[in-house]
Amino acid sequence: MQLHWPETIGAALDLLAEADEARAISGGATLVAMMNAGLVAPQTLVFLRRIPALAGIERRAGGALVVGATTTHEAVETSTLFDPGQAIVRLAAATIAHPPIRAVGTIGGSVAHADPSSDYPAALVAADAEIVCLGRGGERRVPARDFFVDFFETALLPGEIVRAVVLPPAPAGACAIYDKLARVEGDYATVSVAVVMAMEGEVCRHARLAAGACGPVPVRSDEAEALLVGATIDDAVADRAAAAMGEAADPVDDVRGSAGYRRRAMVRMMKRAILAARDGSRQ
Amino acid sequence: MTDSSITYRLRVNGETEDVTAPAGETLIGVLRERLQLTGAKLGCAQGVCGTCTVLLDGRPTRGCLTLAADCTDREITTIEGLGVDGGLSAVQSAFVAAGAIQCGFCTAGMILTITALLKRNPRPSEAEVRHGISGNLCRCSGYTKIVEAALLAAGSAA
Repeated sequence: MQLHWPETIGAALDLLAEADEARAISGGATLVAMMNAGLVAPQTLVFLRRIPALAGIERRAGGALVVGATTTHEAVETSTLFDPGQAIVRLAAATIAHPPIRAVGTIGGSVAHADPSSDYPAALVAADAEIVCLGRGGERRVPARDFFVDFFETALLPGEIVRAVVLPPAPAGACAIYDKLARVEGDYATVSVAVVMAMEGEVCRHARLAAGACGPVPVRSDEAEALLVGATIDDAVADRAAAAMGEAADPVDDVRGSAGYRRRAMVRMMKRAILAARDGSRQ
Repeated sequence: MTDSSITYRLRVNGETEDVTAPAGETLIGVLRERLQLTGAKLGCAQGVCGTCTVLLDGRPTRGCLTLAADCTDREITTIEGLGVDGGLSAVQSAFVAAGAIQCGFCTAGMILTITALLKRNPRPSEAEVRHGISGNLCRCSGYTKIVEAALLAAGSAA
Protein backbone atom coordinates (compact mmCIF):
# COMPACT_ATOMS: atom_id res chain seq x y z
CA MET A 1 0.00 0.00 0.00
CA GLN A 2 1.21 3.48 -0.88
CA LEU A 3 0.42 6.42 1.38
CA HIS A 4 0.41 10.04 0.25
CA TRP A 5 -0.21 13.31 2.08
CA PRO A 6 -0.73 15.93 -0.67
CA GLU A 7 -0.89 19.53 0.42
CA THR A 8 -2.97 20.81 -2.48
CA ILE A 9 -6.26 19.73 -3.99
CA GLY A 10 -4.65 19.46 -7.43
CA ALA A 11 -2.02 17.03 -6.15
CA ALA A 12 -4.73 14.96 -4.43
CA LEU A 13 -6.87 14.76 -7.56
CA ASP A 14 -3.87 13.75 -9.68
CA LEU A 15 -3.06 10.94 -7.25
CA LEU A 16 -6.66 9.75 -7.17
CA ALA A 17 -6.80 9.69 -10.95
CA GLU A 18 -3.43 8.10 -11.62
CA ALA A 19 -2.44 5.88 -8.72
CA ASP A 20 -3.41 2.22 -8.49
CA GLU A 21 -6.74 1.62 -6.77
CA ALA A 22 -6.53 4.90 -4.92
CA ARG A 23 -8.98 6.05 -2.29
CA ALA A 24 -9.24 9.38 -0.55
CA ILE A 25 -9.12 9.24 3.24
CA SER A 26 -10.41 12.13 5.34
CA GLY A 27 -10.91 11.24 9.00
CA GLY A 28 -10.71 7.53 8.28
CA ALA A 29 -13.47 6.65 10.74
CA THR A 30 -15.40 4.80 8.06
CA LEU A 31 -12.65 3.82 5.62
CA VAL A 32 -10.32 2.23 8.18
CA ALA A 33 -13.27 0.41 9.77
CA MET A 34 -14.10 -0.98 6.32
CA MET A 35 -10.47 -1.99 5.81
CA ASN A 36 -10.50 -3.72 9.21
CA ALA A 37 -13.64 -5.60 8.18
CA GLY A 38 -12.04 -6.69 4.91
CA LEU A 39 -14.59 -4.78 2.83
CA VAL A 40 -12.07 -2.65 0.95
CA ALA A 41 -8.36 -3.07 0.27
CA PRO A 42 -7.06 0.08 -1.43
CA GLN A 43 -3.61 0.01 -2.94
CA THR A 44 -3.14 3.74 -2.48
CA LEU A 45 -4.42 6.05 0.24
CA VAL A 46 -4.55 9.78 -0.39
CA PHE A 47 -4.81 11.58 2.95
CA LEU A 48 -6.75 14.84 2.70
CA ARG A 49 -6.04 16.23 6.13
CA ARG A 50 -3.11 18.41 5.13
CA ILE A 51 -4.98 20.34 2.43
CA PRO A 52 -5.93 23.79 3.77
CA ALA A 53 -8.48 24.42 1.02
CA LEU A 54 -10.63 21.54 2.32
CA ALA A 55 -10.60 22.63 5.94
CA GLY A 56 -12.65 24.98 8.07
CA ILE A 57 -16.08 26.55 8.26
CA GLU A 58 -16.53 29.94 6.62
CA ARG A 59 -19.46 32.30 6.81
CA ARG A 60 -19.89 34.29 3.61
CA ALA A 61 -21.41 37.75 3.30
CA GLY A 62 -25.12 37.13 2.88
CA GLY A 63 -25.13 34.34 5.43
CA ALA A 64 -24.20 31.26 3.40
CA LEU A 65 -22.01 28.77 5.25
CA VAL A 66 -19.23 26.82 3.54
CA VAL A 67 -18.19 23.76 5.52
CA GLY A 68 -14.93 22.24 4.25
CA ALA A 69 -14.90 18.49 3.59
CA THR A 70 -12.29 17.70 6.24
CA THR A 71 -14.24 19.50 8.98
CA THR A 72 -14.77 17.10 11.87
CA HIS A 73 -18.21 16.36 13.32
CA GLU A 74 -16.93 17.84 16.57
CA ALA A 75 -16.02 21.11 14.83
CA VAL A 76 -19.48 21.22 13.26
CA GLU A 77 -21.12 20.39 16.60
CA THR A 78 -19.33 23.17 18.47
CA SER A 79 -19.39 25.87 15.79
CA THR A 80 -21.15 29.15 16.53
CA LEU A 81 -21.42 30.08 12.85
CA PHE A 82 -24.64 28.21 12.01
CA ASP A 83 -27.79 30.34 11.87
CA PRO A 84 -30.92 28.93 13.56
CA GLY A 85 -32.06 27.11 10.40
CA GLN A 86 -28.60 25.95 9.29
CA ALA A 87 -28.30 24.56 12.84
CA ILE A 88 -30.10 21.41 11.64
CA VAL A 89 -26.69 20.23 10.43
CA ARG A 90 -25.04 21.02 13.74
CA LEU A 91 -27.79 19.23 15.69
CA ALA A 92 -27.35 16.16 13.50
CA ALA A 93 -23.56 16.19 13.91
CA ALA A 94 -23.92 16.15 17.70
CA THR A 95 -25.68 12.76 17.53
CA ILE A 96 -23.04 11.00 15.43
CA ALA A 97 -21.45 8.05 17.27
CA HIS A 98 -19.34 9.06 20.29
CA PRO A 99 -16.96 11.90 21.17
CA PRO A 100 -13.76 10.16 19.98
CA ILE A 101 -15.39 9.37 16.63
CA ARG A 102 -16.70 12.91 16.25
CA ALA A 103 -13.21 14.23 16.87
CA VAL A 104 -11.93 12.37 13.82
CA GLY A 105 -14.83 11.71 11.42
CA THR A 106 -15.50 14.40 8.83
CA ILE A 107 -18.51 15.74 6.98
CA GLY A 108 -16.91 15.11 3.57
CA GLY A 109 -16.15 11.48 4.34
CA SER A 110 -19.56 10.88 5.85
CA VAL A 111 -21.43 12.52 2.98
CA ALA A 112 -19.39 10.69 0.33
CA HIS A 113 -20.13 7.38 2.05
CA ALA A 114 -23.90 8.05 1.98
CA ASP A 115 -24.92 5.53 4.62
CA PRO A 116 -28.72 5.86 4.73
CA SER A 117 -28.65 5.37 8.51
CA SER A 118 -26.16 8.18 9.07
CA ASP A 119 -27.14 11.62 10.32
CA TYR A 120 -26.02 14.19 7.76
CA PRO A 121 -28.06 13.23 4.66
CA ALA A 122 -31.52 14.07 6.03
CA ALA A 123 -30.20 17.18 7.77
CA LEU A 124 -28.52 18.44 4.59
CA VAL A 125 -31.72 17.90 2.59
CA ALA A 126 -33.72 19.82 5.19
CA ALA A 127 -31.13 22.62 5.05
CA ASP A 128 -31.31 22.86 1.21
CA ALA A 129 -27.58 22.23 1.20
CA GLU A 130 -25.43 21.89 -1.88
CA ILE A 131 -22.54 19.45 -2.11
CA VAL A 132 -19.50 20.82 -3.90
CA CYS A 133 -18.01 18.03 -6.02
CA LEU A 134 -14.50 18.58 -7.28
CA GLY A 135 -12.59 16.67 -9.95
CA ARG A 136 -9.85 17.39 -12.42
CA GLY A 137 -12.52 18.65 -14.80
CA GLY A 138 -13.61 21.31 -12.36
CA GLU A 139 -16.13 21.97 -9.65
CA ARG A 140 -19.88 21.46 -9.67
CA ARG A 141 -22.57 21.91 -7.07
CA VAL A 142 -25.21 19.26 -6.54
CA PRO A 143 -28.27 19.89 -4.35
CA ALA A 144 -28.33 17.49 -1.41
CA ARG A 145 -31.65 16.07 -2.53
CA ASP A 146 -30.00 14.97 -5.80
CA PHE A 147 -26.63 14.02 -4.31
CA PHE A 148 -27.77 10.93 -2.40
CA VAL A 149 -28.70 8.50 -5.14
CA ASP A 150 -29.01 5.08 -3.51
CA PHE A 151 -27.67 2.97 -0.63
CA PHE A 152 -24.04 4.08 -0.27
CA GLU A 153 -24.20 5.73 -3.68
CA THR A 154 -23.82 9.41 -4.50
CA ALA A 155 -23.68 11.67 -7.54
CA LEU A 156 -19.88 11.88 -7.27
CA LEU A 157 -18.23 11.04 -10.58
CA PRO A 158 -15.12 8.84 -10.71
CA GLY A 159 -12.10 10.87 -9.60
CA GLU A 160 -14.23 13.46 -7.76
CA ILE A 161 -14.08 14.26 -4.10
CA VAL A 162 -16.43 16.25 -1.90
CA ARG A 163 -14.79 19.64 -1.51
CA ALA A 164 -17.32 21.30 0.78
CA VAL A 165 -20.94 21.48 1.84
CA VAL A 166 -22.65 24.83 1.28
CA LEU A 167 -25.65 25.88 3.37
CA PRO A 168 -27.75 28.82 2.17
CA PRO A 169 -28.90 31.33 4.78
CA ALA A 170 -32.12 30.11 6.38
CA PRO A 171 -35.28 32.24 6.22
CA ALA A 172 -35.78 34.71 9.04
CA GLY A 173 -37.22 33.12 12.17
CA ALA A 174 -36.36 29.57 11.09
CA CYS A 175 -36.26 26.80 13.67
CA ALA A 176 -34.41 23.49 13.21
CA ILE A 177 -35.46 20.23 14.86
CA TYR A 178 -33.46 17.00 14.54
CA ASP A 179 -34.84 13.92 16.28
CA LYS A 180 -33.10 10.55 16.21
CA LEU A 181 -34.40 7.22 17.39
CA ALA A 182 -31.59 4.77 18.10
CA ARG A 183 -31.20 1.57 20.12
CA VAL A 184 -28.52 3.17 22.28
CA GLU A 185 -26.89 6.59 22.31
CA GLY A 186 -24.24 6.69 19.65
CA ASP A 187 -25.78 4.05 17.41
CA TYR A 188 -26.78 4.75 13.82
CA ALA A 189 -30.37 5.94 13.52
CA THR A 190 -33.20 3.45 13.49
CA VAL A 191 -35.16 6.47 12.24
CA SER A 192 -34.31 10.15 12.13
CA VAL A 193 -36.32 13.23 11.20
CA ALA A 194 -35.06 16.67 10.20
CA VAL A 195 -37.34 19.71 10.06
CA VAL A 196 -36.52 23.33 9.23
CA MET A 197 -39.54 25.62 9.45
CA ALA A 198 -40.14 29.36 9.56
CA MET A 199 -43.39 30.87 10.78
CA GLU A 200 -44.72 34.37 10.20
CA GLY A 201 -47.19 34.88 12.98
CA GLU A 202 -49.60 31.96 12.78
CA VAL A 203 -48.73 31.08 9.18
CA CYS A 204 -45.93 28.81 8.01
CA ARG A 205 -43.74 30.47 5.38
CA HIS A 206 -41.07 27.81 4.91
CA ALA A 207 -40.97 24.08 5.55
CA ARG A 208 -38.37 21.46 4.69
CA LEU A 209 -38.91 17.93 5.94
CA ALA A 210 -36.58 14.97 5.56
CA ALA A 211 -36.37 11.55 7.17
CA GLY A 212 -33.31 9.34 7.51
CA ALA A 213 -32.93 5.58 7.78
CA CYS A 214 -36.31 5.19 6.09
CA GLY A 215 -35.08 4.33 2.63
CA PRO A 216 -32.00 4.30 0.43
CA VAL A 217 -31.89 8.11 0.40
CA PRO A 218 -33.41 10.80 2.64
CA VAL A 219 -37.18 10.72 2.39
CA ARG A 220 -38.80 13.90 1.06
CA SER A 221 -42.30 14.82 0.07
CA ASP A 222 -43.34 17.90 -1.91
CA GLU A 223 -46.91 17.09 -0.88
CA ALA A 224 -46.04 17.14 2.82
CA GLU A 225 -44.26 20.48 2.53
CA ALA A 226 -47.11 21.97 0.45
CA LEU A 227 -49.56 21.03 3.21
CA LEU A 228 -47.56 23.17 5.63
CA VAL A 229 -46.48 26.24 3.66
CA GLY A 230 -49.13 28.94 3.78
CA ALA A 231 -51.09 27.07 6.44
CA THR A 232 -51.79 27.60 10.11
CA ILE A 233 -50.10 24.61 11.71
CA ASP A 234 -52.42 22.73 14.04
CA ASP A 235 -52.54 19.11 15.11
CA ALA A 236 -54.56 18.02 12.08
CA VAL A 237 -52.28 19.74 9.58
CA ALA A 238 -49.19 18.25 11.22
CA ASP A 239 -50.87 14.82 11.12
CA ARG A 240 -51.54 15.10 7.40
CA ALA A 241 -48.02 16.27 6.59
CA ALA A 242 -46.49 13.49 8.68
CA ALA A 243 -48.76 10.94 7.00
CA ALA A 244 -47.64 12.17 3.58
CA MET A 245 -44.02 11.62 4.66
CA GLY A 246 -45.01 8.13 5.79
CA GLU A 247 -46.41 7.43 2.32
CA ALA A 248 -43.18 8.58 0.72
CA ALA A 249 -40.96 6.43 2.96
CA ASP A 250 -39.38 3.24 1.67
CA PRO A 251 -37.86 1.62 4.77
CA VAL A 252 -36.22 -1.79 5.00
CA ASP A 253 -36.25 -4.52 7.64
CA ASP A 254 -32.89 -4.80 9.33
CA VAL A 255 -31.30 -5.45 12.70
CA ARG A 256 -32.34 -2.03 13.99
CA GLY A 257 -36.00 -2.37 13.15
CA SER A 258 -38.65 -3.63 10.79
CA ALA A 259 -39.91 -1.53 7.89
CA GLY A 260 -43.32 -1.25 9.49
CA TYR A 261 -41.88 -0.08 12.80
CA ARG A 262 -39.71 2.49 11.08
CA ARG A 263 -42.60 3.92 9.12
CA ARG A 264 -44.86 4.20 12.18
CA ALA A 265 -42.09 5.68 14.31
CA MET A 266 -41.11 8.18 11.63
CA VAL A 267 -44.65 9.47 11.21
CA ARG A 268 -44.97 10.09 14.96
CA MET A 269 -41.56 11.68 15.22
CA MET A 270 -42.23 13.86 12.17
CA LYS A 271 -45.49 15.17 13.61
CA ARG A 272 -43.79 16.01 16.91
CA ALA A 273 -40.93 17.70 15.08
CA ILE A 274 -43.30 19.80 12.95
CA LEU A 275 -45.12 21.08 16.02
CA ALA A 276 -41.85 21.70 17.86
CA ALA A 277 -40.44 23.64 14.92
CA ARG A 278 -43.63 25.66 14.74
CA ASP A 279 -43.34 26.54 18.43
CA GLY A 280 -39.63 27.24 18.16
CA SER A 281 -40.09 29.53 15.19
CA ARG A 282 -42.89 31.52 16.73
CA GLN A 283 -40.69 32.65 19.61
CA MET B 1 -1.16 -9.91 -1.40
CA THR B 2 1.20 -8.68 1.28
CA ASP B 3 1.43 -5.03 2.20
CA SER B 4 5.01 -3.82 1.92
CA SER B 5 6.69 -2.45 5.03
CA ILE B 6 7.68 1.16 5.55
CA THR B 7 9.78 2.77 8.25
CA TYR B 8 8.82 5.86 10.19
CA ARG B 9 9.09 7.41 13.64
CA LEU B 10 6.41 7.86 16.24
CA ARG B 11 6.45 9.88 19.45
CA VAL B 12 5.01 7.60 22.14
CA ASN B 13 4.87 8.56 25.81
CA GLY B 14 7.55 11.16 25.29
CA GLU B 15 9.98 8.77 23.56
CA THR B 16 10.81 8.56 19.88
CA GLU B 17 10.21 5.07 18.51
CA ASP B 18 11.42 3.72 15.17
CA VAL B 19 8.72 1.61 13.56
CA THR B 20 8.93 -0.77 10.61
CA ALA B 21 5.48 -2.02 9.72
CA PRO B 22 3.13 -2.57 6.78
CA ALA B 23 1.91 0.77 5.47
CA GLY B 24 -1.70 -0.05 6.27
CA GLU B 25 -1.16 -1.15 9.87
CA THR B 26 -3.37 0.54 12.42
CA LEU B 27 -2.05 2.37 15.45
CA ILE B 28 -3.39 -0.31 17.79
CA GLY B 29 -1.53 -2.93 15.75
CA VAL B 30 1.75 -1.05 15.89
CA LEU B 31 1.44 -0.25 19.61
CA ARG B 32 0.65 -3.83 20.61
CA GLU B 33 2.62 -5.87 18.08
CA ARG B 34 5.63 -3.68 17.28
CA LEU B 35 6.15 -1.66 20.46
CA GLN B 36 4.87 -4.21 22.99
CA LEU B 37 2.57 -1.61 24.54
CA THR B 38 -0.27 -4.00 25.24
CA GLY B 39 -2.24 -1.83 27.66
CA ALA B 40 -4.55 -0.75 24.84
CA LYS B 41 -6.78 -3.59 23.67
CA LEU B 42 -8.25 -4.58 20.33
CA GLY B 43 -11.96 -5.23 20.79
CA CYS B 44 -14.31 -4.59 17.90
CA ALA B 45 -11.99 -3.09 15.25
CA GLN B 46 -14.91 -0.86 14.30
CA GLY B 47 -14.45 2.05 16.69
CA VAL B 48 -17.47 1.19 18.78
CA CYS B 49 -16.13 -0.43 21.97
CA GLY B 50 -13.40 2.04 22.94
CA THR B 51 -10.91 -0.50 24.32
CA CYS B 52 -8.31 0.67 21.79
CA THR B 53 -8.56 4.29 22.91
CA VAL B 54 -5.24 6.13 23.24
CA LEU B 55 -4.52 9.87 23.32
CA LEU B 56 -3.35 11.60 20.15
CA ASP B 57 -2.14 15.11 20.99
CA GLY B 58 -4.06 14.69 24.23
CA ARG B 59 -7.39 13.74 22.57
CA PRO B 60 -9.04 10.33 22.93
CA THR B 61 -8.63 8.54 19.61
CA ARG B 62 -9.52 5.05 18.36
CA GLY B 63 -6.30 3.16 17.77
CA CYS B 64 -8.21 0.72 15.56
CA LEU B 65 -9.36 3.46 13.17
CA THR B 66 -6.06 5.30 12.93
CA LEU B 67 -3.25 4.35 10.57
CA ALA B 68 -0.02 4.43 12.56
CA ALA B 69 1.89 5.95 9.63
CA ASP B 70 -0.47 8.94 9.79
CA CYS B 71 0.69 9.76 13.34
CA THR B 72 4.26 10.85 12.68
CA ASP B 73 3.46 14.49 13.45
CA ARG B 74 1.53 13.82 16.65
CA GLU B 75 2.15 12.88 20.28
CA ILE B 76 0.78 9.50 21.32
CA THR B 77 -0.01 8.73 24.95
CA THR B 78 -0.83 5.21 26.08
CA ILE B 79 -1.79 3.91 29.53
CA GLU B 80 1.85 2.97 30.04
CA GLY B 81 2.74 6.65 29.78
CA LEU B 82 0.47 7.96 32.51
CA GLY B 83 2.47 7.04 35.58
CA VAL B 84 4.28 9.78 37.45
CA ASP B 85 7.80 8.96 38.79
CA GLY B 86 7.06 5.26 38.70
CA GLY B 87 3.77 5.71 40.54
CA LEU B 88 0.16 5.90 39.45
CA SER B 89 -1.52 9.00 38.07
CA ALA B 90 -4.42 10.57 39.95
CA VAL B 91 -6.99 8.86 37.72
CA GLN B 92 -5.23 5.50 37.96
CA SER B 93 -5.12 5.79 41.78
CA ALA B 94 -8.79 6.73 41.87
CA PHE B 95 -9.68 3.64 39.85
CA VAL B 96 -7.89 1.48 42.41
CA ALA B 97 -9.40 3.30 45.39
CA ALA B 98 -12.93 3.13 43.99
CA GLY B 99 -12.69 -0.52 42.99
CA ALA B 100 -13.42 0.41 39.38
CA ILE B 101 -11.45 -2.42 37.74
CA GLN B 102 -12.87 -5.91 37.14
CA CYS B 103 -11.52 -7.77 34.12
CA GLY B 104 -9.47 -4.77 33.06
CA PHE B 105 -10.29 -4.92 29.36
CA CYS B 106 -11.97 -1.50 29.23
CA THR B 107 -9.69 0.03 31.83
CA ALA B 108 -6.90 1.55 29.76
CA GLY B 109 -9.35 3.22 27.38
CA MET B 110 -11.51 4.43 30.24
CA ILE B 111 -8.62 5.89 32.20
CA LEU B 112 -7.20 7.72 29.19
CA THR B 113 -10.61 9.05 28.21
CA ILE B 114 -11.24 10.28 31.75
CA THR B 115 -7.74 11.76 31.98
CA ALA B 116 -8.45 13.82 28.86
CA LEU B 117 -11.91 14.75 30.12
CA LEU B 118 -10.57 16.08 33.41
CA LYS B 119 -7.93 18.13 31.61
CA ARG B 120 -10.69 19.81 29.61
CA ASN B 121 -13.20 19.96 32.44
CA PRO B 122 -11.58 19.65 35.89
CA ARG B 123 -14.89 19.62 37.78
CA PRO B 124 -17.35 17.63 35.69
CA SER B 125 -20.83 16.75 36.84
CA GLU B 126 -21.81 13.10 36.93
CA ALA B 127 -23.76 13.65 33.70
CA GLU B 128 -20.70 15.13 32.04
CA VAL B 129 -18.60 12.15 33.14
CA ARG B 130 -21.17 9.74 31.75
CA HIS B 131 -21.30 11.66 28.49
CA GLY B 132 -17.52 11.74 28.35
CA ILE B 133 -17.20 7.96 28.69
CA SER B 134 -20.18 7.24 26.44
CA GLY B 135 -17.78 5.90 23.83
CA ASN B 136 -16.22 3.30 26.14
CA LEU B 137 -18.06 0.04 26.78
CA CYS B 138 -17.63 -1.93 30.00
CA ARG B 139 -19.21 -5.36 30.15
CA CYS B 140 -18.35 -6.11 33.78
CA SER B 141 -19.05 -3.21 36.05
CA GLY B 142 -22.23 -1.38 35.15
CA TYR B 143 -20.11 1.80 35.07
CA THR B 144 -21.02 2.90 38.60
CA LYS B 145 -17.58 2.65 40.12
CA ILE B 146 -15.93 3.97 36.97
CA VAL B 147 -18.02 7.14 37.32
CA GLU B 148 -17.19 7.27 41.04
CA ALA B 149 -13.50 6.97 40.23
CA ALA B 150 -13.71 9.84 37.75
CA LEU B 151 -15.45 12.08 40.27
CA LEU B 152 -13.00 11.00 42.98
CA ALA B 153 -10.08 11.94 40.75
CA ALA B 154 -11.74 15.28 40.05
CA GLY B 155 -11.80 15.91 43.79
CA SER B 156 -15.57 16.07 43.92
CA ALA B 157 -16.40 12.56 45.07
CA ALA B 158 -20.00 11.48 44.62
